[in-house]
Order: sequence, then C-alpha cells, then structure tokens
Amino acid sequence: MRFLPHTDSDRRAMLDTIGVSGIGDLFADIPSEFHIEKGSLAIADALPEAGIVRKFTRAAEQNRNATNTRYFLGGGTYHHFVPAVVDYVISRGEFLTAYTPYQPEISQGTLQALFEFQTMIARLTGMDVSNASMYEAATATAEAALMARRVTRKSRVVMAGSVNPRYRAVTANYLSRLDGEYTQVDMGAFGTDLDRVIAAIDAQTACVIVQYPDFYGSVYDLAELRAACDAAKCLMVVAFSDISAFALIESPGAMGADIAVGSGQSLGIPMGFGGPHLGLFTCKQKYVRQLPGRVCGMTTDVNGKRGFVLTLSTREQHIRREKATSNICSNQGLMCTAAATYMTLMGDAGLATVARHSAAALHSLVSRLPAHVTAATGARYNETVLSFVDHAARQRFLAAASADDIFAGIPLEQIEAGVEARHLLVATTEMVEESDISDYLAALEVSL
Amino acid sequence: MSADTTFKYSATAGIQHEEPLLFEHAHEAPSSISLPGVDGEISDALNHFARKDAAGIPGLSEPEAVRHFVRMSQWNHGIETGFYPLGSCTMKYNPRVNEQVVRLPGLAHIHPDQPEATAQGVLALLYELQGWLGEIAGLPYVTLQPAAGAHGELAGLMMIRAALDARGDTHRRKVLVPDSAHGTNPASAALCGMHTVELKSGADGRIDLDELKAHLDADTAALMMTNPNTAGAFESDIKEICRLVHEAGALVYGDGANLNALVGVARPGDMGIDCLHINVHKTFSTPHGGGGPGGGPVAVNETLAPFLPVPRIEKQGDTYVLLQHADTSVGPVLGSVGQIGVLLRAHAYISAFGRQHLHSIAEDAVLNANYVLRRLQGRYHVPFPGLCKHECLLTDEVQERHGVKTLDIAKRLIDLGFHPMTVYFPLIVHGAMLIEPTETESRETLDAFCDAMLDIADVCEAGDTDILHEAPVKPFRRRLDETQAARKPVLVWPA
Repeated sequence: MRFLPHTDSDRRAMLDTIGVSGIGDLFADIPSEFHIEKGSLAIADALPEAGIVRKFTRAAEQNRNATNTRYFLGGGTYHHFVPAVVDYVISRGEFLTAYTPYQPEISQGTLQALFEFQTMIARLTGMDVSNASMYEAATATAEAALMARRVTRKSRVVMAGSVNPRYRAVTANYLSRLDGEYTQVDMGAFGTDLDRVIAAIDAQTACVIVQYPDFYGSVYDLAELRAACDAAKCLMVVAFSDISAFALIESPGAMGADIAVGSGQSLGIPMGFGGPHLGLFTCKQKYVRQLPGRVCGMTTDVNGKRGFVLTLSTREQHIRREKATSNICSNQGLMCTAAATYMTLMGDAGLATVARHSAAALHSLVSRLPAHVTAATGARYNETVLSFVDHAARQRFLAAASADDIFAGIPLEQIEAGVEARHLLVATTEMVEESDISDYLAALEVSL
Repeated sequence: MSADTTFKYSATAGIQHEEPLLFEHAHEAPSSISLPGVDGEISDALNHFARKDAAGIPGLSEPEAVRHFVRMSQWNHGIETGFYPLGSCTMKYNPRVNEQVVRLPGLAHIHPDQPEATAQGVLALLYELQGWLGEIAGLPYVTLQPAAGAHGELAGLMMIRAALDARGDTHRRKVLVPDSAHGTNPASAALCGMHTVELKSGADGRIDLDELKAHLDADTAALMMTNPNTAGAFESDIKEICRLVHEAGALVYGDGANLNALVGVARPGDMGIDCLHINVHKTFSTPHGGGGPGGGPVAVNETLAPFLPVPRIEKQGDTYVLLQHADTSVGPVLGSVGQIGVLLRAHAYISAFGRQHLHSIAEDAVLNANYVLRRLQGRYHVPFPGLCKHECLLTDEVQERHGVKTLDIAKRLIDLGFHPMTVYFPLIVHGAMLIEPTETESRETLDAFCDAMLDIADVCEAGDTDILHEAPVKPFRRRLDETQAARKPVLVWPA
C-alpha cells in the first residue's frame, strides 16, 4: 500500500520492541465479538493511482462545467475568475498540510496570511474587525444571530424575507432549539421592503438580519433601518452573497452594520458544487469579545520581533466548554489564504474591475430584454429575477439556452419553495462576455 | 546528545526571509491584473450607491505576490515538511493525486444549483462515499452535510433530540459528557438547547460504570463518548455502556475524532453506538489547510435515519437526486450539500486502500503509537499503563521535578525539527502530552522522534535545562506573547 512506509520486517521488529507476538495483540482490548473480518466491508476494491485518476475523470466528464459553457447561475455561488497563482499558493504543502496554528513559532506563514486576510476583509466590508472565517455564509448568518443575542441579552431575531432562503433556513434551524422568538418578515416583490422590516422590530428584538445586495440582487439604502435599530437598541446584521459588490457600491460598514456576514467564495474560490467555500464574519470593534470562531492577533516574540498568534481563546470551547461563544473549532483556513492571495493579486483596481464588469453584464442583459420577459425593478448589482408569462415559457427558454451551452439561471422555486414556477434567478460576473449576452438574448427570442 | 545530529534532527536555521505585511510594501499598487468581461455601462440606479472611498486593498504585481506568499509559506511546518504527532488531530500524509483529481474542471467548476442531470458524475461519487462511510461506521444512513467535526456533533445531537421528541420524551435534555471529552462536545450540546453533566473518569482514564449509572436518569438524552477515548485507550466496557444508556431510554453519540484506530477493524455501530460523526480531515486524509476546510459526515442507525438533515443524495433507478425536503428531517445545517471538494478527497483516500487494505490504516496507526509508547515509557510518566490505540498519553511528572514542563518539552521539539504533540489535553491529567503518529510515518521517523524525546529526558536529568526553557531558538519567531495579544487585541492593520 503506497501510503504506508513500513515493510513487513519493520512491523516485525516494532512488534518485538513492543513485546507482543502479532498485530492482533494490539487490538485485544476490543471485545472479540466486535472484530470484523479483514476485507469483509462492502467497499470497492483498491484502486492504483491511475485507476483513481480514470474514475474521477470519467465522473467529472459526466458533469457539465463552467470552463466550456456560459454560466448565469448565482444564488450564493458565483463563477468568478480564479487566477492560477491562487491555486498555486494554496497547493504549497506548507499551507495545505499544516494544522490549525496552535504552535505559532512554526505557523507564522498561516498566521500572517490570516492577519492580512482579516485586514482586507474588514476594509472591503467597511467593518472594524474580521475573524479568521466561518464554514460558509448560512452558518455565519446563524452565528451572527447568536452573537447578537449575547451582545444585547435579548432573544428575538427578526429576519427579512429577502435574505437567501438557505441562510434563513439554517438560521431558523439553529435558533429553533433555543429560547426566544424568530420572526420572518415576508416581502412582496423581488426586493426588500424596509418599512415592513422596521415595523417588525420591538423592544425584545436582539437583531434584524437583512441581506445587501439582497437575495434577488436588489441594492437599497439602509439608513432608515439603522435609525430604527438605534431606537430599539438592537443590532443591524447585514448578510451578503457576493462580496465583490463592495468594490463598487457602499459597504455594509458604511451603511451602519453592527455585524456583517456572508460568503467570500467570490474571492478566488471555485464553485465546487457548493463547497468548500468561505464564510466571512465581521463586526464593530466593541463586540470583539463576543465573536465566534478563530481570530488571529498581532503580538511580539521574546526578542521583540513582530509575530502573530491565535488569540481571544477564552471565548472558545476548549477553555469555556459549554459556555463558549460557539462550538466552532475548524475554520476555512486554506480558503482564507486563497482569498488573501486573490485580493493581493487584484488590489483595489482589479476588484473594482471585477465588480464593474459583473454589474455591466447584468445591465447590458436587462436593458435588451424582449417584451415577453420582465426583470425585477430597482437598483441591482449582478443578480436579478427574470419573470416569464408561465412555466412552459420559462422551460422552453431553459431548453433553448441549454442547447447553446448556456446555464441561463436558477429556477427560483428550486431555492425559494412556494414561489410560482415561472421565475429565473440570473447572475452575471466578469466571466460573461458580450457575445454570451447576445446568445442569451437570441435564445430568448427563439423560445417565444 | 549524540555527537553528530546533523541528519538525525532536521531543523536548521536555513535561509529565512523577513517579509513585510502586504500593507507595508512601499510602492503604489500596480494594476497588472487582466480581466475578461463586459467593459460597459452600469445602471444609473446602481451608480447612486457607488462606493465613495476605495477599500484600501494594496495589490502587488504577480511576481511580487508569489514571492510574498511563498516566503510566508516557508515559515510554516506542514505534514509535508516533517513529523506532526498532534494527538486527536490525525495528521497523516495527504496524497497528491487527491489534489489533482478534485481540480478537474468537471468537479471544481460546477454550480450547486445546475440541473441534476448535468451533475450526475459528482452525485455518483458522493453517493458511493455515503455508502462506504456507513459501512465503515456500521451505521448505514449518512449525511455528508456537516462542515466539520463540531458541526457533525451539532447535527447528530439535533437528530437525537428529534428522535426523543418524536417518541414524546421532550423532557430529555441532559447530555452526559466524560471529563476527557473534546471541548466541542459540551459546546455543541449547549447550541442544541441541551445541558451537559460531566462524568468523572475512572482511575484508568476510562468511563466509570458506577459514575455513569449514577447520572443516567429519565432526563438523560444522550451520552457523548469518544472511543478510543482521548487518553488513547479503548473503552472496553463499550457494550455494557451502550446497554446501560439504552436501558435508561437515552442514546449514544460517538465522537468519531479517533476513528483512525478502528477503521476496517471494528465498527462503532456494532458496539451499540447510535450516531457517529466522522472527521474526514482526520481519518480520511483531507488536508488540514492551516485550520480547515474539514468535513464532518454523520452516520446513524435506523432509529435516527428519519431525522437526517436535508438535502440528501438519493438514488432513484439509475439517477442520482438531491432530496430537498423530508417531513421528519432536522432540516439543513449548511447552505449546501456539504464541503464537496473535501469529501471527494476522502473518497479518493478510501479508494486507494479499498476493501482489501482498509484495515491496515488502523493496524499501522496503532502499531506506531504503541511503538512510541514502548520506547518512551520508563523515561516519561505514563498515567494509564497498558496498550494504547492510535495515540499515547504521557505527562511531564518526571521532568517537572527538574523544573521542566510540558510546554518546554514541546518547544524543544521544534528546535529538533518536529511539530510538538498535543499539549495540556486531555484535561484529566496534569501536563498532558498526547502523541498520535498515524499510519503514514516510517519507523525511521518514529525512531528519530523517540530519540529526540529521550535526549530531552537526558537533558532534564543532567540539570542543564536552559536549552529547554529558552526553546525554540531556531524558527523564524521565538515564543510569542499571547497575553499581550489577548489583552489588547490587534486584529487588523494598522495597529
């Protein structure tokens, strides 16, 4: 077996050193009735390396992928460009095969990358501080609700219905076993009606969670909500799906968010059928001791040289156990390094170009739609909802687009249960070219 | 110490470059990146919300960026750099072919919401993995969704709570957790709206049956146990433990962090465990990445199967589908099906061993741990003598008489070229050193590590302990001031 270095004579000599006659003696403490026969499990036969490559290649070829088709799919996962350098950096064994940096003297690479990541995420979101990542956006949103309850010592959570249904579902699920009320505010159109959200706030409210840009891509002003949260002494939590937006439009921090959470998948991480992605968690400085998850901080070593460590560990479960701020232990460390590398390659200018191209592609598409398709109104970043006259019309279009290698959008009811089956959630990135939009529009015409 | 240690212990000062923070690079950022896309107008409505000031992401040219991160990488110790015997973390070699196959465009560049008909290949691999994990655990029903071990604990406890509620036991909210447990166990129970009661371990570090009986009652929902436990010992009373818990009307949660000792040799489900999370980043060799991403699939028996999270991967005829809703499900615990790229690497690791060789993972892991234990016992205090499983537990009791603590031993190992073992865990012994060698380490490496540990013991006994207290001196940075970091946290630049 190629990953096992021992020869049989090594094993023999080691057993002699231990003082047992056979490997079975080392398992004598497991009652014999629980021993299973070697090779008896229903698992495929061992494959040589070439066999693994063949099997995975065949499986991969059964999937259609974004490298040779046109993707207009979003809903929390986006097909942005990933520079080759990002994958190279995270493929280096020193980053890839290190554990959580518990021994900082020999983990400064991971730690400095985390510190740079935290700084850049804080700047992009306009927030004071960032942690060293969460699993992904839905669990980050749930953790934001939990944190707001700790900060305010109140228990009611108000959730806008225009937050990604998956973030809502996971948050509601996390909260459902704890005391306190969870209120979802239904939205009329494909956007966010802040008046309805504000009307739902009361004195028991710990936080209000909105998404900006919202699930339907809508961009709107949060000033009134900020004022309402101040009046009710509750926190304003802003979720986001595609962080690239904040190189173009005002950040959650500038809009007054107390906590901003979301996905960093757009920062150099491939779609990967849904994971691993990157959960982001940022907040105002004054709440830093209630943050969940790992945090990297700056310090000095005994020679006075600058260095970095994991810090604020008294919040964490290995010290606080059941009183910890979260049960989270693993983060998405390697994805932080990917995002830090991506942002370093992009800089402000590159990030702004990504955002502008993503938004320009949507504007180009929406402004040329034929009459039988309507787009949601109001300011949109790179995502919107297209509505067809009926289900059949939408399906005809999807088929026509698919035949031209276009993944034209996500049927909205696939993510948001209960909506009429005639809408498409459509997203654009800088990977969409002008010719892709022309082909998209041509497919709309032929499916009339 | 022996005369020539040049080759035996690998650490040297080497060439080490200082590298400033990205934000300290002096020059203005070049805009070197070339990007595709539509270089057109954006809508006036959107323009109304234009960001006023740039975020302040400095940016480097591509050659500078590569050098920046490569230099930083060289300050890290990884499993590819050297031995990494962190107890309870299962740091094994991460096969390079696994990295290659998950980067195939048909696996990396696919969207979770594209039509299922266009994603049958990835669904087939995941479905196969579900089956294998169920078979290995002896618990046939599997969710791949949890993103990490602690997340698996939460999902598992949700299912246990739902199963108890479904049979009307809505008062059962007490979770028994041995004092040797991972800290995530009580934290996960709290997040699931349950409270924990700590069980004091017996004199042998194992679960004390009388202590268990004394705490089992009509309010008990579950026992959370790790087997082998965090002292590296198999809970030989497992059958009786599970019987007692079930008799009391509660369920047994298995923390699968230590599954490496059992894989292919024995199955938690056969022993009476109802629910087990599997850390694929431990047992099945997906890279730790400096803290993640991980994966924490949960395998359960028939009692808990109706409550598995959604979405679930199912096979209908020859077609794989994602089941989005099930009435009895505890619901989603993640916004996607799971950490797919991580899970696919686990699939590749299991594929390489296959049915014929899977047991050799546990056999060589346990062999290696017992070999290390045997070579070090006598010079280091062994709190619970006897066979160990995949990891062995020592303490600093002998060395402390010379003023040397576990932390000093750990830091000296760094100067000798090794990553330290897990220190000060489990909490049930003073000055714990938990050593987990894993199956992918050679005898040569184990001998070098044991020699280093014995050299440290010699140094202690000779009384020449400055070299231990001052360690490490070789790496890029020496001992860091963690108190200062926590007192006035600096989490972003500039300070």
